[in-house]
Amino acid sequence: MEPENHKTKAVNVLRSRICDPKFIFNNDNPDSNYSKLKFMISSSVTEACNNSILLLGPRGSGKNAVLELVIQDLLQEYPDSISVIRLNGLLHSDDISAFKEIARQLCMEHQLLFSKAASFDDNSQFMVAILKECGLAHKTVIFVLDEFDLFAQGKQRLLYSLLDAMQSIASQAVVLGISCRLDADQLLEKRVRSRFSHRKLLFLPPSMEDSQKLLMHMLTLPIDSSFPHDYAVEFNSKVQNIIEDRKFKETLERYLNVDSCVKHLLRFLFCAVSHMDLQTGFLCQENFEIAFSSIQRQPKLECLRNCSNLELHILVCMKRLEVKEQSLCNFNSVMKEYKSMHDSFRTSEYYSRNVCLRAFEHLMHREMICFTDNRGQSLSIEFRPVKLLISSAELYQGLRAYNSCPAYLLKLMDREG
Amino acid sequence: MDKDKTSQLPRRTTRSSTSSPTSTSNNVIAPKVNSLEPLTINDLLVGGDPISLDDIISDFPGRRSQILEIVRLLGPLNSPMLPLFVYGGSSTGKTSIILQLFRHLNRPLIYSSCRTCYNQGILFESILNQLFLHRKNAANAYANAKRCERPSDFVNFLREALTNVIINLKEKSEKLVSNKMTQGKIGNMIYLMFDNFHLVREWDKSSTIVPLLFNLYDMLKMPEVGLIFISSTSPDTFYSNMGYVEPIPIYFPDYTEGDIRQILLRNQVNPKLYSSFLDVALKSFYGITKQVGDLSAALKPLYEKYCEPLSDKGKGVAPNQEMRRRLLAHINPHIGPALNEIFKVSSPSSIEVETRKEEKRKGNPGRLEQCEELGSLDFHMSTSAKYLLISAFLASRNPATLDASLFDSKGGSDNRKRKRKPSEKSMERKETLEEELLMKGPGTFPLERLLAIFQCLVSVAEDEEEPNNDGFGVEGGNGGLMSDVLLQLSSLCNANFIFKGRSCPIEGSTRYRSTISEDLALKVARSLKFPLSKYLYRS
Repeated sequence: MEPENHKTKAVNVLRSRICDPKFIFNNDNPDSNYSKLKFMISSSVTEACNNSILLLGPRGSGKNAVLELVIQDLLQEYPDSISVIRLNGLLHSDDISAFKEIARQLCMEHQLLFSKAASFDDNSQFMVAILKECGLAHKTVIFVLDEFDLFAQGKQRLLYSLLDAMQSIASQAVVLGISCRLDADQLLEKRVRSRFSHRKLLFLPPSMEDSQKLLMHMLTLPIDSSFPHDYAVEFNSKVQNIIEDRKFKETLERYLNVDSCVKHLLRFLFCAVSHMDLQTGFLCQENFEIAFSSIQRQPKLECLRNCSNLELHILVCMKRLEVKEQSLCNFNSVMKEYKSMHDSFRTSEYYSRNVCLRAFEHLMHREMICFTDNRGQSLSIEFRPVKLLISSAELYQGLRAYNSCPAYLLKLMDREG
Repeated sequence: MDKDKTSQLPRRTTRSSTSSPTSTSNNVIAPKVNSLEPLTINDLLVGGDPISLDDIISDFPGRRSQILEIVRLLGPLNSPMLPLFVYGGSSTGKTSIILQLFRHLNRPLIYSSCRTCYNQGILFESILNQLFLHRKNAANAYANAKRCERPSDFVNFLREALTNVIINLKEKSEKLVSNKMTQGKIGNMIYLMFDNFHLVREWDKSSTIVPLLFNLYDMLKMPEVGLIFISSTSPDTFYSNMGYVEPIPIYFPDYTEGDIRQILLRNQVNPKLYSSFLDVALKSFYGITKQVGDLSAALKPLYEKYCEPLSDKGKGVAPNQEMRRRLLAHINPHIGPALNEIFKVSSPSSIEVETRKEEKRKGNPGRLEQCEELGSLDFHMSTSAKYLLISAFLASRNPATLDASLFDSKGGSDNRKRKRKPSEKSMERKETLEEELLMKGPGTFPLERLLAIFQCLVSVAEDEEEPNNDGFGVEGGNGGLMSDVLLQLSSLCNANFIFKGRSCPIEGSTRYRSTISEDLALKVARSLKFPLSKYLYRS
């Protein structure tokens, strides 16, 4: 193992920044969601009132991160007046496990013994009792419901009991829902919605300028004692040059046109930083180009390059059957088409049925074709109807790009006869 | 918080063990049980001798760029990582490369395969066992570290286990620093690896567990944990209604022809001879399949045939131009048939069968082998089972309307009277309809139809055999034959010759379907000397 020099340390620092959401979203701008959220929650803590807020935005736009930052700050400001309960829709969408989890976390907070055998009614009564106690002690309980739209499936008992418990004067609770569905509040039942204060914070993806500012913020090394001064200055100036370069701007714009959320940008940045050359110790344009090409992939075309000649033949046969509008497409009809193709084109290679069947199965494993019905288990593989999972445009493009593909396959795809 | 007690299963006692508790045999067994030591954090490493990166690159030909990319993405020691998604065709080296890389980097890894852990409970428990450094032995009645069925329990236990492991690792590395040792660093990070991840889509609760595992990194919020997913299908096959932040993809393409050459040339006794063989044979086989396993299995017998004309089977012989031409001429006629045998895995046959085959081959090669294959049936079935199988095949194959004319009292289809000759066009249409019917596959039939055909066939056979012997099943009359038949039917269903469908409440009885191919039916009929072709609809 080599001694950790400053270049490796630089890579480490950059990577940890990318994987640390708190660094990214630290924003003191009074207009930002961070400040708004902090104001809302702290006001409900200080004024001892109940509140419910929804944080909405596309996936990866930092809702959870901003919330964690706010909670961290509030825990420092009001150390004894806040307790946080975290639930996740993927894990706790059914009411029984949700209440169990709430009871477990409340027990952990208040150093009580948690019994796993407690029933649903016990847990819900416990929660109501604790809320009352906390209210009397002027302690706010913050419920964070991640993947809020998953809680809104089914009977919404948890949501109703939470919001209902908040209606009593004694309790002090804040319910925060986080969801990627912008219409999450439309999913609520009437009685739940009426108890919900319709406050929403929208987390929008950043604009192009904001993304560039974020890039600068992430990639600038700190000019302090942790790095040699010259190295850090040179590193930062190189980064500045790259970001202001026109070609880089075009690449970045192309990438962000697909999805401009922060997390998406961070994936790209992670790849680029990992490819940094440890010999020179500086980022360069090629790192970003490599990252761009390795993240944007075309899986079906790659898969086509992996197919052998026989598998390509089978795909082209299926395509021709589709063009001929044959209603039944199963292995037998594909073999018939293969035979007629072989007869009319006099190709040298004609393989037996067993070989073609195995190539057919390989195509199934690669997910280029699949069965049309899931229930037809009684028929053997030769009779079950199949369909193509690759569009004809992609198939054509893939065949053209493939160097060793026989030329007549392309001709066959064009012609209908 | 209450501690979760592992459930103690009540041990069953046999009469002998309760009667003689101090027998000497029990004492002998006892010491062996406790010989395994408890697991430590070092057991999470892949283990083995240290290996350098160049060794790995030379071990895996054609994978240099993928290896370097993975090393870069894993990063230096103690640097956090976004989840990785490694995908590529089967047997392209994904799992083995990553395991070797972890051996080189010497970092702790938790490996779990979604093939051996075939549902989510087992997957969770296997991961937790490894993280809690738990070993199943007789002392804890072979129980898991924690009983975990639900995802919510899993995440809680996982968090607990990971914090323990990370604290452990930190202490270890601090000890190393304080002792001023530079070797033996395993870092502060722990990596979880999910192999065969594409199988998770077919599990019972796949719609929740796939997004759960992809979102696990965000849920845990621990930068010291790295996740690696290995799958043989691309990430776009995992898309569902529930979203997640996509992991970073790493693609392993299939090997090119040159790479396969390099792989197959390793461990060869005579590389030059083998490479001249590959010049001849590889290209045509490569056109069928690109997978290394299939190719090496198929090329092996062909290579033995290639070396046949050389003395001493070609050991230590470097072929020159003339020898190459001679060998090429020898092997060329065999390549074609070998291509059609490519996916067959031949079992080693006994010596008698081999000698018999040799004699036959010397006599009349080619044609005789085919006849022999057609004629013999590999397994033994009773005569009534064979008749039942043929009746099932006929019932699936022929439409029900033809039964009356085919199975009349005379037996056979020769006595059908044609009312009038149908026109050309309707005959063509009828032919295409019949072909389509064949292509759709075997049809279903109810039990009564099967029994009717069976009775008819058996009576025909009995009529023919009557003068020779007593026939079979005559003793109990037809009643005795029927119960025998139902038993035979259920054993044929268990052997997957006949498929039994579910009973539909509207239609009434269950419907059956025959699953055997026409070749097998012909073989069975030939062994009975039954004229199957006469009864087939459009043979």
